Amino acid sequence: MDLKDIGLYVDDRPEQGVFRVHRDVFADSELFELEQTYIFERSWAFLAFASQLAQPHDFVVTTIGRAPVLVMRDAAGRLGAFLNVCRHKGAVLARAESGNRKHHVCNYHGWAYDSGGKNVDIKDRKAACYAAAFDAENHDLVPLARFASYKGLLFGSLSSEVPALEDYLGELKFFIDLAMEQGPQGMECLPGRITYTYDANWKLQMDNGVDFYHLTTTHTSFMDVVRRRERAKAGNQAARAFDWDKRLTQEGGMFNFRHGHTAIWLNQPQPERRQVYASLDEVRKRVGDTRAEWMLKLRNIVVFPNMQIADSTSLLLRTFRPLAVDKTEMRVYCMAPVGEPADLRAWRLRQFEDFFNVSGLATPDDTAVYEDTQAGFAAPVTWFQGYQRGMGALEPGASALARNMGIKPVASLHGSYMIQTETCLHAPYREWARLMQAGVSGERPYLL
Amino acid sequence: MTDLLEVGREILYREAAYLDEQRWDEWLALFTEDCEYWVPTWRTEGELTSNPRAEISHVYYAGRAGLEDRIVRIRSGRSPASMPLRRTTHIVANVLLTGTEGDALMRLRSSWTSHVFDPHHKKTDVFFGHAYYELRGEGGTWSIAKKKTILQNDYLPSMVDIYCI
Repeated sequence: MDLKDIGLYVDDRPEQGVFRVHRDVFADSELFELEQTYIFERSWAFLAFASQLAQPHDFVVTTIGRAPVLVMRDAAGRLGAFLNVCRHKGAVLARAESGNRKHHVCNYHGWAYDSGGKNVDIKDRKAACYAAAFDAENHDLVPLARFASYKGLLFGSLSSEVPALEDYLGELKFFIDLAMEQGPQGMECLPGRITYTYDANWKLQMDNGVDFYHLTTTHTSFMDVVRRRERAKAGNQAARAFDWDKRLTQEGGMFNFRHGHTAIWLNQPQPERRQVYASLDEVRKRVGDTRAEWMLKLRNIVVFPNMQIADSTSLLLRTFRPLAVDKTEMRVYCMAPVGEPADLRAWRLRQFEDFFNVSGLATPDDTAVYEDTQAGFAAPVTWFQGYQRGMGALEPGASALARNMGIKPVASLHGSYMIQTETCLHAPYREWARLMQAGVSGERPYLL
Repeated sequence: MTDLLEVGREILYREAAYLDEQRWDEWLALFTEDCEYWVPTWRTEGELTSNPRAEISHVYYAGRAGLEDRIVRIRSGRSPASMPLRRTTHIVANVLLTGTEGDALMRLRSSWTSHVFDPHHKKTDVFFGHAYYELRGEGGTWSIAKKKTILQNDYLPSMVDIYCI
């Protein structure tokens, strides 16, 4: 395919019941490079939780696309995000993943920066015989082009040509709020690092995080374990979650949003098996009946391009960072209300580890399938793959349910669980095609 | 003292052998019903998590029932990550007897490495670390009442099952 028509990699004809994506989108290393430039370096990326940077001088390092990033809270308590790169010779500055430091000193020649990103020392400066031109230059850390927070989640962008964060998140904010407003004192991410890689394209995680269809095949062994816990009262009761067999008869649906975001949802068969249920009265008073009811539903969302929140067996936030066309780094975080009672906290952790850990009972079955899928892409054949389940039930714009929620999605779908719709992925791939086409055509990515 | 160390070492070697030979029932039988099986995560580069009730673990079970779940899944033949099963070789070494309470309890510390071959993807992963054990003796039989596994290389591949560490 000619790259000038790059948007054609997504065959997007909903009025004809067709939505398909070319297999090269997952396997072509030239497209991968263009994704870095036109998607990851030109949109918003999740950086960290504000709860990880509670005190002045706390810092966390992360990445946007290929760029090393340093997020810090300065002496006055202000958050900032910078390229984690020394202005002298370009070495990575902060080498620890997180910590608390008033100053970051480069290991190479000792240039030092404060927690606000200001250069505070150039080693042996007085004796250096710098010319006046040097003194006139700015030696501070380079701030990200955009940095903003929403409900305790910190985001950054390498590009200034992005909408304001709240406009970028748009109507998806309703679903982010459902995750981030569960506790009266806010939410925190729990300590402990789970990082792993899989040998497949990043978009396989984007897909699978909102894929109801695979559960009854990929996760049959997990369902066996759950069934045994339910029926025989055997196995690890400390991790007990809802009865998976019951979810198959629930009502659910999806919403597509602008800027590539999407959400799927399902009525919760056993709301009492969710931690938020224990404080439902408090939650209702604080956020209202509609939002409290929605907090009890299963919800998985994609914050385009590479972040997801899943509130199903536990409340998870994950990022999936592309390392190569066929290699992705996953980072998963368990979220919980600040001040949660100890027993609920322990139960939450056991549910999380059970399903979402790469050392758990479900996630490795997902990554195994991603790797098999990537291996399948090596076949030298050209075809478009479908995202067609549910297209017959697709409603353009807001459904009655969406209007009731007070949100304005681009498209809605509401029906039985068994639709197991793939239409939720129309928004992300439509945005992928739009941003890639804008990139190769030399157009601005967003109308600002 | 020496005798107890011999007994303890034998249990640790058996644990490794049963995993490598997929003798799952014999492996489970090494643990007490109320055993604590814990693989903490790293909180930072140099510091482990210390409270499984407040921090994420790679694995935390407060009883053998959790280990039984793993075996149910492995045996189901329905887990893509477990078909075919990886082939493993555990090496357990540097076993130290670090404490005893009469004939009722001994504490051991071991170093371990596990080579894991995936016959499907034709690749090998290696995991390594050390482990702290509490063995409980009852009527001359010793069982594992606590095992805390430190996984040193925690930048993980796409699956880590209980038999891989």
